Amino acid sequence: MADDPQRNFRSAYYEKVGFRGVEEKKSLEILLKDNPLDLEKLSTFSQRFPLPSMYRVHVWKVLLGILPPHSDSHSLVGSYRKEQYQDIMEALEVMRFIKSSTPSTHVYLRMFQLESHMLPRCSEISPPDQENEDFLSISQAMEEIVEDSVDCYWLIKSFISQFHTKFGDSVPHLPKSLEHFLSQEEPGLLSHLKNSGALAQLPYHLWFRRCFAGVLPESSLQRVWDKVISGSCKILVFVALEILLSYKIMLLGISRPEGIVKFLCNIPQENTDAIVTKAIDLWHKYCGTPIHAM
Amino acid sequence: MAREQPSMGDLLPLLETSDLHQLEEIRGLINEQLSTRGSVLLNGLVDYFLETNSSEAMHILCSVREPHDKQHLLDKMNECMTKQACRLPTLTMLGHVIRKQPSWIHKIARYPLLLSLLKCLKQTDTDVVVLITGVLVLITLLPMIPQAGKQHLWEYFDIFGRLASWNLKNPHVSEVYLIHLHASVYSLFHRLYGMYPCNFVSYLRSHYSMKENMETFEEVVKQPMLEHVRIHPELVTGTKDHELDPTWKKYEIHDIVIECAKVSLDPKEASCEEGYATMPDNFYPQIHLRPQDCTSSPYTDLYSSYSSSSTPFSTPRQPLPPPLSLPPFSGTQSTNRSPQTTKRQSSTCDPNSSYGGKDPLWSPSSLCGMATPPSSRGMSPNFELSHSASHLPSRFHCTSGGKGTSASSTPATSSPPPTLADDFPIISLPGNTVQSSPPRKADAANVSMTLTELSVFMKIQELELHLRTEKEKEEAITEELLKITEDKQDRSGLRGFDSPFYRTTETLTGCQTQDKIVTNSQLGGSVPDTRHAASTPDKAENTTSVSDVGSEQGGGAGDSRSLAIGLDQSWPFLSGFTPIDHHLHRSPSAPEEEVSKFGMFSPSPCAKTPASVPYEVLFDLALPRAASLYIGQKTSEAVHKAALERLSRREEGLEDGEEDGLLTASPLEVLDRLVQQGSDAHDKVLKLPLPSKSADWTHFGSAPSDELHMLRSQLLLLHNQLLYERYKREQHAVRNRRLLRRIINATALEEQNNAMKDQLNLQSVDISSLRESLQVEQQRYRQLWDDRETVVTRLHSQIRQLQQGRDEYYTKNQDLQQSKLQECQKRLGELEAELQGANNRVCHTGHLLKQMSIKLSNSESTQQRMSFLNKQLLLLGEAHKLSMQELQYVGADNTKEARMLQVSYREEMESLRQNLLVQGQKLEAAHQRASELETLLSKKEHLIAEQKKFLEDVKCQAAELQASDGRYQAQQRITQLLQIEILQLYSKVEMEAILVPDGPSQTCTNEERDSRAPHDSHCGNGSTLLPGQLKASKTSKTTANSVNGSKESGPSLMVDLPLSCPRTNRLATLTPSDAPLTVGSYPSAKSFLGMRARELFRNKSESQCCDEDEEDEHLQPPQHAGLAHSLKTEPCGEPPCPGSVAHLGLASPPTPTILTPTPSLAAPLHAPAKKSLEPRQQAPSQESPRRRIGRVPLGTARPRQQQLKIMDYNETHHEHS
Repeated sequence: MADDPQRNFRSAYYEKVGFRGVEEKKSLEILLKDNPLDLEKLSTFSQRFPLPSMYRVHVWKVLLGILPPHSDSHSLVGSYRKEQYQDIMEALEVMRFIKSSTPSTHVYLRMFQLESHMLPRCSEISPPDQENEDFLSISQAMEEIVEDSVDCYWLIKSFISQFHTKFGDSVPHLPKSLEHFLSQEEPGLLSHLKNSGALAQLPYHLWFRRCFAGVLPESSLQRVWDKVISGSCKILVFVALEILLSYKIMLLGISRPEGIVKFLCNIPQENTDAIVTKAIDLWHKYCGTPIHAM
Repeated sequence: MAREQPSMGDLLPLLETSDLHQLEEIRGLINEQLSTRGSVLLNGLVDYFLETNSSEAMHILCSVREPHDKQHLLDKMNECMTKQACRLPTLTMLGHVIRKQPSWIHKIARYPLLLSLLKCLKQTDTDVVVLITGVLVLITLLPMIPQAGKQHLWEYFDIFGRLASWNLKNPHVSEVYLIHLHASVYSLFHRLYGMYPCNFVSYLRSHYSMKENMETFEEVVKQPMLEHVRIHPELVTGTKDHELDPTWKKYEIHDIVIECAKVSLDPKEASCEEGYATMPDNFYPQIHLRPQDCTSSPYTDLYSSYSSSSTPFSTPRQPLPPPLSLPPFSGTQSTNRSPQTTKRQSSTCDPNSSYGGKDPLWSPSSLCGMATPPSSRGMSPNFELSHSASHLPSRFHCTSGGKGTSASSTPATSSPPPTLADDFPIISLPGNTVQSSPPRKADAANVSMTLTELSVFMKIQELELHLRTEKEKEEAITEELLKITEDKQDRSGLRGFDSPFYRTTETLTGCQTQDKIVTNSQLGGSVPDTRHAASTPDKAENTTSVSDVGSEQGGGAGDSRSLAIGLDQSWPFLSGFTPIDHHLHRSPSAPEEEVSKFGMFSPSPCAKTPASVPYEVLFDLALPRAASLYIGQKTSEAVHKAALERLSRREEGLEDGEEDGLLTASPLEVLDRLVQQGSDAHDKVLKLPLPSKSADWTHFGSAPSDELHMLRSQLLLLHNQLLYERYKREQHAVRNRRLLRRIINATALEEQNNAMKDQLNLQSVDISSLRESLQVEQQRYRQLWDDRETVVTRLHSQIRQLQQGRDEYYTKNQDLQQSKLQECQKRLGELEAELQGANNRVCHTGHLLKQMSIKLSNSESTQQRMSFLNKQLLLLGEAHKLSMQELQYVGADNTKEARMLQVSYREEMESLRQNLLVQGQKLEAAHQRASELETLLSKKEHLIAEQKKFLEDVKCQAAELQASDGRYQAQQRITQLLQIEILQLYSKVEMEAILVPDGPSQTCTNEERDSRAPHDSHCGNGSTLLPGQLKASKTSKTTANSVNGSKESGPSLMVDLPLSCPRTNRLATLTPSDAPLTVGSYPSAKSFLGMRARELFRNKSESQCCDEDEEDEHLQPPQHAGLAHSLKTEPCGEPPCPGSVAHLGLASPPTPTILTPTPSLAAPLHAPAKKSLEPRQQAPSQESPRRRIGRVPLGTARPRQQQLKIMDYNETHHEHS
């Protein structure tokens, strides 16, 4: 990246001074101009810099494989995706799994179930289990981020499947690593959490299964998901850590674990942007700025 | 009480005791008793008084206190008043009490006593004496109870009206009484007019508008009364109601009296005020009082020189205007002293016709005196003054120097014009005799004159004669007495002021009074005035004689008048002369005392009067002058005051003494008692002298039988009058005191002012001096400053010079130092350079030494080597010698061997040359081969690139394919689900059908069942098979078939499945189209490109391809055949059986299809082989012919193949060629 000839030579200084993301858009555009898109470069870029919102969906789609790297076939593949979505939708409608009044998240859930052979029979529809809840909250968040329903569905589907395939193994270890980083950052808080017994009860499933869907507002959430989609689940740990640090005083004030959990499940939505920014900084600090793979 | 009670009656007579001590005790006792049980004792006292007329009782009664006594007293008096008998004493007592002015006096208006008094005056009483006494009491009372006027006003007026008309209505009443009455009415008139002018005037108007009263008005009221009052200011500004308002409250009693006197033009009445005005005039510098006089009397301008303010009024009005200059003057002064006395005198004068008769003579005489005396007078005063200049001032100083001095001094010093000089003596005389008897006499004359105007003019002549005789007699007596009692009377000299009174009484009573006068005359030692005054009567004889002379002198005047003039003229002379005589007489006897007194009394006037210079010496002897200036003035004032008070007290004491007897041992009281005793004696013992004395009285026309009574009542009346006048005088005294106080204050302030002015002046002088000194100091300071400046500048210049010198020195020093430094540095540099040079030299030499040593060592080593080389040379030379010897011995048989060697060399060279040629050819061939191979390589690389591009495209397509695959899978899932749904629905429907019971329409149902049965069965199979099918669907095509054929009859399907194995061939005909698709990911072989790719792919992975090829060859020969048939549509003549083909393939590998790979297989194998192995090169070359041979017989397929693979084979051909 740094030796990209087309890049503004001042960008390094911009970053030093604090104007982050000045040149990102341009460089992203350059990246997106490559014909077979370089997925590696794209993912590195999205790990290092926040994505411009106008390219976010596109980049996500490319990174998640919804669109092929070859830009020539984007339209064709896009039409395929759309047809597939419509077919499934029609089929579900025919089979009366969904109605016009069904909320879109549930439609997405049914579609996903259909595609993953999980669709129960109409008569056997049971209340959504934990996994379905995760799906629903993620799809809720995604729906907020993406307008187009086809894209939305595909993104949800690909995000979840990618998350499960890629980080399925590492997710159970995330609480441990959170504890580790917390002990480095704020041992007092950790001891407080430990003493109060809240450490084990922290809302890990919200943080690490749903990737903060429903916890953070979408504007902040999408920045976290940039990192997740581009291949890092560690960011989740740092966001959680930063949440804990930001509300340290409040948490120290609460002694009962239920209170702590309750507070963490409903953290105030005001300065989440700052939290995410700090979390990303923290993540960069501990995991290092991802250097371009090339 | 009981014990005391009887003693009370005894006590009262004891009051008359002569033992003073006892008297005191008794008085204390009575007072004590009074305070405890008032009424009885009081009544007793009153009764006692009424009986005995005891002065002591009177005294006690007068001092009765407020609480209860006054009521009892007043009641008692009221009671007594009703009795005709004791009315007169009661009134007398009331008069005493009132004159005492007790604090409760204002309440008297509320008591019936006043009413009864008024009533008695108005209606009941007809006794003149009572009336006169009552009127006097009323007059006295009026100013004390101004408020009461409101109620009793008309009663007052009625009283006035009644009394005014008394004499007309009662013509039988004695003339003497009438005169008294008239005088009192006159006073009442003044009082009423002064207090209630509006009401009174209106009363007069109304009362005298009546015809019956007109006469009275004309006779009594108009002439003397109205003519002697000014118009009251209240008449202009006030109203009837207003003057009844309690405006009087703010006035004190004496204020009211003076107010009343103010409106009077009668010098006697008005003089009260004028006296006040002139009084201070006498005491204090004239300057202050002049204006007062002027304001009070616009007429004074003329007479301002002697400033008798009363004169102006009197002069124009009085019937005898000019001569009044003297009398009014004296009158004023007499009022100063004792108003009562003047009254008294006037009253007394009347009865004494000899007196009174003289009075009218006075005025014409004075008139004449004005006209005539100047000639004679002008001479005499001068003489007098020159003669007695030393004495006059001193006299003036004592009492009233101011005026007198100025008057007397001026003539003394600057002999004024005759007329003025004439006046001055006249003035000076009164001034001198301010408190002396002569003025009194003049007063008396004056007063009598005014009265006489009213009453009697006819007896003037007689009176004159009588007076003269009496006077002569008196003077004779007094002279005698003087001689006799001179020593005795000295102690009472201080009472000289009272002398007039006594003298007047004397004139009445006789020798005893003469004694008084004598004593008075003797007082001169202490108070010159009095003595002078006293002396004047002494000189009365002289005066008379002189007056006779004067009358002769003033011949112009008439008979009696001339005498009067003479008298008039004689006064000044008398006054002028007598003091001198007396003084001359006195001075040796008690000069020191006099001088000291003078000094005490009169320092300031003394200083002021130039004429008094000679006397100052005397004063200075007594007192230092410096002290006298201020202190003397003060003391004089104080002493004056004291004297006045003393006087008043004395007078009171005298009164007391006269009325109550002697309370103290003072001579005046003694005198008073003497008077009473005299009167008593007169009553009891001396009956005989009376007729002789009262020879004149017969002229009044009263019966001789009544004479005693008349005289007694006259005495009483006179006493009353006297008391009234005394009372008036007291009021004046009070006023005097007040005014004096003011004056003192004013003067004190003025003094203060002056002192402050002086101080101011002093301070201003101080300031100016200080300013001057300041200026001087400033100048000095400036000078000093200038000096300092100059010094400073000089010092500055010096400093500057020094600094300059120092600077120069510094610069010089610096220059010197610098030059030295430079020199030193230069020297140092030189030395350093020298040192360096030396060092260099040393170094150089050292270096040289080193070089030399090196050279030495070098030379040494070279020398060694030289020697060594020399040795070697020597040895070599020896060896050479030896080898030369050997060489000569060896060198013969070497040529043959050389020739042989040369031949062999040539042959060898030839063979090598041939070999080289061969090698060159070979190299050429190899080169060619290499170039060929290189071109081939480049082509292949190009191909590879193309292939890569294709691969990319394919990859792209693969992504699409993947997407579509996903789609497909999704579709599949949808389909499955749909199927599931359908099946579910079917099952539902069937279940419903089964549940429906068999009915008439069974046939139909049967048919349906028939038609559906297979379906059902199949369905059931399908349902059971479903999982299996799903599993197998990936691999087996049969499922597809079965699926496709699911609509066929179930048995057929059932048959198919088992038959599928045997019918593989048939199926194979169907499947081959599918086969390549399923086999791998290779592109379909249908297209030309696909085949190409396949070839290329094979090239890429040889071994795999080989295996596959072989497998293909092995497994699918028929497919190939089929392929050839179906795709190339090449009519393959011989339906190749697999076996033959296999054989062919086995026997000779290049079957039409299978041959194709071989060259390609071989070629790569060859290419590397050619490079490495030479021998293997032969093999392909050998093979190629064989291939050609082999191909030729192979037939038609071959060229086709070749066409297809032009590039490959062309290359191979080129290689071969």
